[in-house]
Amino acid sequence: MTEDLVGFIRDALRVVIDPELGENVVDLGFIYDISVTDGAVLITMTATTPGCPATSFLKEGAQAAASTVPGLVSADVTMTFEPPWTPDLIAPGVRASLGFAAIN
Amino acid sequence: MIGASISRWTMSYFAMALAWLFLALALMVAGVGYPVAEIASPDTLVLVHAVCIGWLSLAMCGALFQFVPVLVAKPLFSERWALPALVLLTAGLVSLLAGFLSLGGRLPPVLWLLPLGAILLVAGFGLVVVDLGLTAWLRPTGPARFVLAGLASLCATVAFGAVFAFVLAGWAGSAGDAFLAAGIPLHAISGLGGWLTLTAMGVSYRLLSMFMLSPDVDDRQSRITLGAGALAIGVTVAGGILAIGVASGLSVVLSIAAVFGLVSAALYGRDIAGIFRNRKRRQLELNMRMATLSFASLAATALLGIVLVAAEAFAAHIGPFAFLAVFGWLSGLVLTKLYKIVAFLTWLETYGPVMGRAPTPRVQDLVAEGRATKWFVIYYVAVWAGTLMLLAGELHIFRAAAVAMTVGVVGIVREVIRIRRLADVAGPVRLPGGAVAPHLLFARN
Repeated sequence: MTEDLVGFIRDALRVVIDPELGENVVDLGFIYDISVTDGAVLITMTATTPGCPATSFLKEGAQAAASTVPGLVSADVTMTFEPPWTPDLIAPGVRASLGFAAIN
Repeated sequence: MIGASISRWTMSYFAMALAWLFLALALMVAGVGYPVAEIASPDTLVLVHAVCIGWLSLAMCGALFQFVPVLVAKPLFSERWALPALVLLTAGLVSLLAGFLSLGGRLPPVLWLLPLGAILLVAGFGLVVVDLGLTAWLRPTGPARFVLAGLASLCATVAFGAVFAFVLAGWAGSAGDAFLAAGIPLHAISGLGGWLTLTAMGVSYRLLSMFMLSPDVDDRQSRITLGAGALAIGVTVAGGILAIGVASGLSVVLSIAAVFGLVSAALYGRDIAGIFRNRKRRQLELNMRMATLSFASLAATALLGIVLVAAEAFAAHIGPFAFLAVFGWLSGLVLTKLYKIVAFLTWLETYGPVMGRAPTPRVQDLVAEGRATKWFVIYYVAVWAGTLMLLAGELHIFRAAAVAMTVGVVGIVREVIRIRRLADVAGPVRLPGGAVAPHLLFARN
């Protein structure tokens, strides 16, 4: 049941995109962890740059998207920059479509 | 808070800066000031200060109010100072230019406008320096150090300028006259080289790394680049004042500063090449492709300087040298980054608040790069042609190049306005429920 819920939350988060890269935060590897306890979800996520003004919008956007999933009593998002995000975390298919270097 | 918010007045600074750029272009097209007039004439002073304070400095200040908090991941010391600073700077520049026109006999002789302009500019730049300086000081690493060095250079530039304004008004006695006669190179180098170039370098390190997903330049490496540049400015300012004090001439001081300046430019070229080489996004956006033309212009400026010095023709051709630095390197970079920054900020302002609640476009969906490319190309080609015409002394053809520059800038500004109006965003995602269209001249947050 919890695994299904995590899957629904992950799908809901796909509406949140990184404005610069133009892909959703799930496929970009921004979502580090989704944990559900008694209907309360805690999402741990990151962004490309700590100082970027998009950071707070990404956090609030993830919270709003997760809140749309039925069966949750609350949704909280923690933004972290440890470990730092790297393009290696991007889903392979998306990485190719973004025109990323294969190595680096 | 991790990160930074949207600066409310950055768009206002950009709009005012572009208005001054259009005034400067109109003067060049009309043949007012250099090259038609002498390089030290009052008309040229109007042109130079409209470009350096009105266009470049206001654009740089607007960008820094948004960008310094990004560099240090801390909020701006005081968002409330940005608008009064813009008002003071604008009023100060208008007064200063009116003073120059008065000096040249184009207005009745009201020379007190010069010191008044200087005082207003000192107050305006003072607010900017304290606000940005206190913000950058929180985490003075990497690019933030460049900004701090740039702000220190701005202080020196403004101090020189203020003294000159009092001298020109006849309020500073014979010592002031001697200082004005010798000190103009110090004012120009600390302004163009220190304030504008060192700051542009620092900002570009972070912007390029951020938008191309390239690792940041090694801190020790960029510190050497900054060290060489800061030494060039430090030698110019301190050595220059000393040399004027003992009436020994500036040639030795300026030669040493030029060597440090060239070393800094070369190291910067190495750093930027590294950022491009190590980028993880292989496809370059328009702003990056066009920024390379600015870097090429900086390299060409350095090369031109070396050739002119070797040919003992630097003093005679300082005009084309400064023109290429101001319009090829600095203005070109500001225009390309302005194109990107406006799109990014407009996206954040419009779509950030509805993220997670509705589908949103990408930043790239706000721009039409294919259409914009030609305006940038026209601009750069016109600047390079204009430089060659100045070197050749072809003043009429130079004015034709100024017309072409104006055409390029009009095209770029039209693209920027379209970005701000969301004109190129596809209908279904243009304004999702809850999103509010941005105001043209300021951020609504």
